[in-house]
Parts: sequence; structure tokens; C-alpha cells
Amino acid sequence: MGNRVKFAAGKLCEFLLTALLVSFFTFAAFSIIPGDAARVMLGTTATEEQVEHLRTELGLNEPLAQRYVSWLTSAMRGDFGKSLAFSEPVSELISSRLPVTLGMSLIALIIVIVVSFPFAAVCSRRPGKFTDRALSAAGHILFAIPPFALSMMLIILFTRVFGIVAVGQYARPSDDFGKFLSCLILPAFCIALPKIAMTFKFLRASMIEYSASDFARTSKSHGLTDFMILIKHIIPNSAVSSITVISLVLSDIMGGSLIVEQVFNLPGLGRLLLAAISRRDFPLLSGIVFYLALMTVVLYFMSDMIAALIDPRIRDRRTS
Amino acid sequence: MNLARISKRYLIMGMTLLGIVLAFFLIGLIWTPYGINDTDAAAKLLAPCADHLFGTDNMGRDVFSRCLAAARYTLLVSFAGVAVALVLGTVAGLAAGYFGGITDKIIMILSNSVMCFPGILLALVAVAVFGPSLYNVIWALGLVFAPTFARVYRSGTIELMTRDFILQSKVMKVPPVRLMYVHILPNLMAQILPAVITGLANMTLFESGMSYLGLGVQPPAASYGKMLSDAQSYMTVAPWLIIFPTLILVFYILGLYFISEWVRTSVRGGSQ
Repeated sequence: MGNRVKFAAGKLCEFLLTALLVSFFTFAAFSIIPGDAARVMLGTTATEEQVEHLRTELGLNEPLAQRYVSWLTSAMRGDFGKSLAFSEPVSELISSRLPVTLGMSLIALIIVIVVSFPFAAVCSRRPGKFTDRALSAAGHILFAIPPFALSMMLIILFTRVFGIVAVGQYARPSDDFGKFLSCLILPAFCIALPKIAMTFKFLRASMIEYSASDFARTSKSHGLTDFMILIKHIIPNSAVSSITVISLVLSDIMGGSLIVEQVFNLPGLGRLLLAAISRRDFPLLSGIVFYLALMTVVLYFMSDMIAALIDPRIRDRRTS
Repeated sequence: MNLARISKRYLIMGMTLLGIVLAFFLIGLIWTPYGINDTDAAAKLLAPCADHLFGTDNMGRDVFSRCLAAARYTLLVSFAGVAVALVLGTVAGLAAGYFGGITDKIIMILSNSVMCFPGILLALVAVAVFGPSLYNVIWALGLVFAPTFARVYRSGTIELMTRDFILQSKVMKVPPVRLMYVHILPNLMAQILPAVITGLANMTLFESGMSYLGLGVQPPAASYGKMLSDAQSYMTVAPWLIIFPTLILVFYILGLYFISEWVRTSVRGGSQ
């Protein structure tokens, strides 16, 4: 029990410190703009008066440390200020675009898990044989295609070869939830494919390792069938050790969705991010960046905690 | 199928793919059949033919010439970006592993925070703030990739620190920098090499993504990512605009993966 508390406390401190650093990086990135931030945002055509007005509005005339503290305290309340380009609160813009990015990421994650586990199990049965080599080679190739190029290839395939024209459409979740989901599936699939290769590779290696372990051999000598050993021992063990990898994959998926949204013309966070970049809307940009990074920090923290909760070896390794 | 034969097969496949890309790069440096931005109103969206091997785009530009010329930026950004990341990662990783304690804690938490920005987000921020240019892309991606190398060096150094020859050098008061350079760096070569090669491949994926978003290599220079995003509106009528740039990117990345697989398997085979 002592171990458990000590581990959780250590992880919590690490989590809070990382979150603080991430917030500082985000803030700093937009404060070290060469020259005058307000001037950069408004462009060269703005008058001196407009620039001065924006400076006061953004609080740029105050000292840096004070600006950081006030930015952080309002960010913690979910207030990232007001977008310059859309003249709406940043938090509202983010939450209106969130369903697409989040929905796509979750569907992609489900696809990754559903596909990579059975394939890894099949391959780990006979490593080095034909099925294993074929699937591993396929994984390599999938990993090498940039997700946006893969999306375009699949769009060409679907529209030209199968004659499905529904690609690139979008329905709001409040209007037609079924259609909303169905238009996210192909993009999610495109993000998921390279990640399947990554998860598959890790799972395959860990399953091969567990198949050769003592407890697998003992179970075999007790008369369990290979299939039962796989279901009862090898898959649960690999699943626990793959939690960290899956959290990495999920953060990669979120990063990947920023680009793939662009190919499928979906109104998600990626589109918002690009709009913010091209319009030099720094309050909106820092809001999105901080939000995405914070989600990743929370994700890593949760995966660490879950892994330690299920597998006592992880929390004992730290303290011993 | 023994390990040596598999590993040799990886080497052959990897070298073939990289050879093709390298040929593109070298030819592109000295000669392209058409100018990369020469438009030809009479030859818009032509399918691949004898005059235009890879076809032409919506402005009548020759895709083959553009593919030849774009190879240099893919190679440049991947190598320069990895070089930046390697320098940063080596210094941070060695310092963290060698000094341990509070230095280690600080470096690790910094590199963890950098890794918390998913995918190309950090590089996008850098480009948004400093403006899109080749150099900004290179250092931004280098910064994003540095923690990967730092981790490899850190764990490798921690492992080496318990070995007798390192302990002895420490007892003999060999200065830390010399000890790292003479004893630690060469011993970690086998671990860092596959990471560097995979880093080149991942860097290419990131660079093409940024160019696709219009935030990477800037026109008038040709880049594969930008070619793909330009071609997006025409992809169903002119799939060759998508297929050829993608193929070269895939050849390069896949070739690198095969070589890193070769390094990994041959090192493992050698130590057993």
C-alpha cells in the first residue's frame, strides 16, 4: 500500500510539473515573437493607433511574468480569451470543433486495437513463417505512407473504382449522428493504418516474448490448449504492457488528425488551427495548442496510473 | 530462414529503394527535362506519356521535372533536421545519463514536456510565430525530434556507467567530456544508428505533412507535400499527380526503414 501511494504521489507531481511546463512553453512560444506581437498580428497596413489599442487589449504593455500568471489563471478556468479572427471566445470555438477531432481519434483508436491484436496473435504463433512475414512487410509499407497521401489514394480508390461519391461530405452531429459517424470512418481509417503497423509491431514482439515464458510453458504442461493460453495469459499480459504504447499512439492519432482533416475537408481542430495560423490569430492559436498538449499530458498520466494499477511490477520497479 | 539471410534481404531492398531516390536527387540537381515552374497551356493535366513521363498538372507543369527537383528538399530537411536533433539530443542525453540526479530530472522533464505536443503541433507553432521558411522548418523539427535521441543516449549512458572501464576512467579522473567522447559515444553507436535512420524516415513524414499544409518548403521551390496539396482538387481526374510524388516519398521512407531493420538485425546477430 505504501508503494502505491508513493508511486501515485510521485506521478502526480510529475504530471503537475509537466502540465506547468507545457503551459509555460505555449505561453513563451507566443511571447518571443520577434518584434511587436500586435504589429505582427495586424500586419503592416495597420495604423499606430490600432496597434496600440490591440496592445492594451492583449495586455502586452504589462510585464511578462504578470502576463503569464494572468494567462494561466484564466486558462485554468477554461478562458483563453477572445479570438481576433472570429471574434468569439476561444473556448467556444474549440468546443464547437472538438466533436470531429475527438470522434475521429476515438474511431481510429478502436480500429487500431481491433485490428492489431488479432493480427499480432496470429503472427506470434509462428514467428518467421509466411503469414508473419507477409503481415510484417505489409506493416512496414503502411508505416511508410504519409497519412494525407494515403487518404488521397483511398479517396481515389473509393470514388473511381468503387464509385462511392459520399467521400468528403460532412453532417453535424446534432443534425444526423449516424451520418456524422459514417463520414468520420474513412478519415479515421487513414490515420489508423500507420498506427496499426506500430501497435502491431510492438504487440507481436511482446506476445512472442510471453509465449516463450515460464508461465506459458507451465500452462501448456497443465494441458491448456494453445488458444486458451493465448486468451488467458498472453493477451492480458501484452495488453498491460501495451498501455503505454497505446497512449503514445493516441497522441500521435490526435496529431495526425490535424492534417487528415484537411484532406477530407472536415471542420475539426486542425482546420481551426490552420485558420488561426494563416490569420495570425495568436490568442486562438495558443488556446488550441495548450488544449491539445494538456490533453496529451493528462492522457500520459492516466495511462501511467492505469498501467501501475493493473500491473504491480511497474510501481514496485520505481520504488525498489 | 536464418537471421543473416533475412538481414541481407533487408539491406538489398533498402539499398535498391534508396538508390532510386538518390538517383532522382542527383539527376534533379543537374538536369530536369522541363523547368519546374514552366507552364504549358497546351498540355494541362496530361496523362503520363513519352513527352511527360509522369504527366502534367493543372498548370501544364511537368510532374517528372518537379519530382526530380523536389527530392533535394526532402533529403535536405530530413538530414539537416536529424542533425539538429542529434546534436541537441546527444548533449542532453549524455548529460542526463552521466550526471544523473537533479540534472537528469530537469532534462527528462523538459524533454517529456516537448514530447507532450502531439505530432507536428510544436513545429506548426514555430512556423506560425517565425514565419514559414526552410530554416525554421529544420530547426523546429529538430527540436521536436531531439527528445527521442536524448532518451536513447540517456538509457545507454546509465547502463554504461556501471561498467568497470567507465568506473576506472572516473577513478583516474578523466574529464567528463573526454570520457563521454572516448568511451560512451562509440559504445552507443549501435543503439543510436537505427534511431537516426528511423528519425530520417519520420522527419520526412513530418516535413511532407508540413509542406502539404503549406507551412513547409515554400514555392517557387517544388516539394512533394506541396505537389500533393496542389493536386488535391484534381485527384480523381488526374491520379498520376498523387501517385508519383507519393511513390517517391514511400520509396525513401521504406528504404530507410529497411536499412534500419538491417542494422538492427545484423547487430543482434553479431552479438549472439
